[in-house]
Formats: sequence, C-alpha cells, structure tokens
Amino acid sequence: MINFLKKNKIIVIAVVAYLITLIVSPDIFIKALQQNGSFLLEMLEVLPPVLVISSLITVWVPNEVIIKTFGKTSGIKGKLLSLLIGAFSAGPIYAGFPVTKTLFDKGASVGNVVIILSAWAVVKVPMYLVETSFLGSTFANTRYLLTIPFIILLGYVMQRLVKKEDVPVSEIEAEVEKIYEQLPKVNCGACGYNGCHEFAQAVVKGEVQMEGCKVLVSKK
Amino acid sequence: MLLREQLKTIIIGSTNRKSTEEEDMTTIILIAGALGFLVWSLIKDKKKTKEAFRITKGLFLKTVVQIIGVLSLISLFLALVPPEMIKNVMGSANEQMSIFWGSLIGTITIIPAFVAFPLSKSLLDAGAALTAIAAFLTTLTMVGFATFPIEREYFGTKFTIYRNLFSFFAAIFIALIMGVIL
Repeated sequence: MINFLKKNKIIVIAVVAYLITLIVSPDIFIKALQQNGSFLLEMLEVLPPVLVISSLITVWVPNEVIIKTFGKTSGIKGKLLSLLIGAFSAGPIYAGFPVTKTLFDKGASVGNVVIILSAWAVVKVPMYLVETSFLGSTFANTRYLLTIPFIILLGYVMQRLVKKEDVPVSEIEAEVEKIYEQLPKVNCGACGYNGCHEFAQAVVKGEVQMEGCKVLVSKK
Repeated sequence: MLLREQLKTIIIGSTNRKSTEEEDMTTIILIAGALGFLVWSLIKDKKKTKEAFRITKGLFLKTVVQIIGVLSLISLFLALVPPEMIKNVMGSANEQMSIFWGSLIGTITIIPAFVAFPLSKSLLDAGAALTAIAAFLTTLTMVGFATFPIEREYFGTKFTIYRNLFSFFAAIFIALIMGVIL
C-alpha cells in the first residue's frame, strides 16, 4: 500500500486535490475537469504514435547509425539535425522524453539530446505560425532568432556538465546487461555478431536465441 | 477529422481551436508516420515488430499514470488561477515584477499554445511589458516544473535540474535582450 502510494505519488496528490476542490468549489472543479479533458485528449493523440516510433527505432535502427548522426563526433551536422527533429515534432515536451531517451541509449550525445528537447519545446513550426498571427512577425522572429543560438549553447554546456553515467539506464539496456553477464564475453564472433554485447542486444530484440552462442552451447 | 472536432467540442465545451489548425496538421503527420513505420515493420519482420510492441507497452505504462497526474494538477492550477489573474499580475506597471511573474507562471505551468498566444496578445494590448511576455512564452514551453518528475524518470536528477535551470536563465536573458532590441 505504501509502495503503491510512493510510486503513484503525483496521481494520488491530484485525486486528493480534486476532491478538496469539489467540496470547496464545484465550479472550479468542473473547469479543471474540462481543461484536463483537453490535455488528456492531446496526450492520447500524441503519446502513442511517439512511443511506437521510439520502440521501432529501438528495434530497427542500429546503434552505429545513431552514434554517427547524433553522437559526440557528429559535429555541426548532428546539431542541425537535432534542431530540425525538434522543430518538426508534434506535441508537448513530455512526449519528447521517450524519443530522446531512446536516441540517447543508442549513442546520441547529451548535447544533442538537449538540443532536440529544447527545440521540441520552443522552436516549433506550427507554433511559430500561431505566434506570428497573434504577436506579429517582428516579435516572433526576434524570439526565435535569439532562442536558437541559446539552444545550441545549452547543448554545449550540458554536454560538459552531464556525463553519460548520470543518466539512469533504461529497462531494455538493463535487460541487455543481464544477458551479457551470462555470456562468455570472449567476443569470438561465432554467433555472427560483432562481439558478445551485440549478441546480447540481438537476444533482447528477439532476433536470436541464447543457443545462438556457440561457446555457451559447447560448454553444455 | 469531424469526429475529432466533435470529441473536442464535447470535452472542452467550445470550438475555440481555430489557431491550432497548423498544430493539428503536425499531429496528423505524426500519427501517419508512426502507422507507416509500423506497417513497414510488420511486413519486414513480425518478430521485431512484436518486440517493438512490448517496448511500447512498457514505455506507455511507465509514463502514462505520471503524465495523467501532472496534467490533472496543471488543469487544477489553471482553473484556480484563471487568465484574468495572470493578466493582472503580468500587466503591472513595474516591468521587473512583471518579468518575474511572467517567468514564474511560465515555469510552473504548461499552457496550451491556443490559450497562451491569445492571452499574450491581450496582455500586450493591456499594456504589459514585451519582455515579460517573451519571458512568459519561453519559460512556458522550455522549463517544466510540472514535468520535472517525468523528465527525472527518464534522464535522472542531475540532467533535469541543470537543463531546467539553464533554460530558465536563458529564457530571462532572451527576454531582456528582446526588451532592448524591440
């Protein structure tokens, strides 16, 4: 019970807060519910497709590709591409977390992850159009022109400050590590993969069974 | 499309969504893209697709409860602090104070664009400082006090604190420069 409360802290707080509001002011309660409805609708539109894309990237795109495009050595091209991904994304920033985490797990640098997330939040093509129509193009242009260099700078600073070890390991990666631990770690390549770590990843992806490891089979 | 609009009308209670047509477009492209990728994956390799589904389910379950909680709390906050109130504090004569309030409100909440931009417009018309509005808009989207728990779950405490802190200062800085330029 305590564990359940701890794990679902926020939703429990939310339920309690709504109950209090209902008693104190039913008007505000209904207003909050309506607002919540539109938020949840937006989430249900955006989150599932984003998660599907993240998972498909996990399964299909090889780490080397991500490392090359978004890794530490991807340079200015990686940064521009990160900006573009963010700019053409849909949905609020929380939808960006699973995607960027997937890219990060596959070798994208901290800096580029920050650029994607920040661009996802601020540098949006549809939002720009709305902003121009309401606040004028001078306002919107100035804000965007100032924000983009700041986002790149933010990427640099974050890259310096946050190390890969500071970011928690995802469940999939933990699974890979668990399988890797059971392997002989001799990197013989007899299984057809480049080393034991790649083989462990392939097992998690469902490409191959544990029996695919020749060394393990011969030991039995 | 029609169904979507009707659903929104029922849930939100109004069809004041004209300003987000462009936003809707990206959402549709996103959904189409995900479906396309999924179909391609299914044709290419059923096993891998199954694995992808397993991962999707895991990610969804991991985040959805928390997101619902966060969104509920923001909705409540917005119901308690209506736009008129935001207008009052941000439209104050003291520019520093209105920058402060603008960034503070922007930091705490996520306000959908279709509320934020009209609100900014009316603030501007009411005589609020331009800098305050810029600070409000930038923190609104980039700094997420509300989404902090979700971000932390994915990227850890250090990453989350640093990113939000720096984004906050960047937003204020951008706002100040805009105040000088415009």
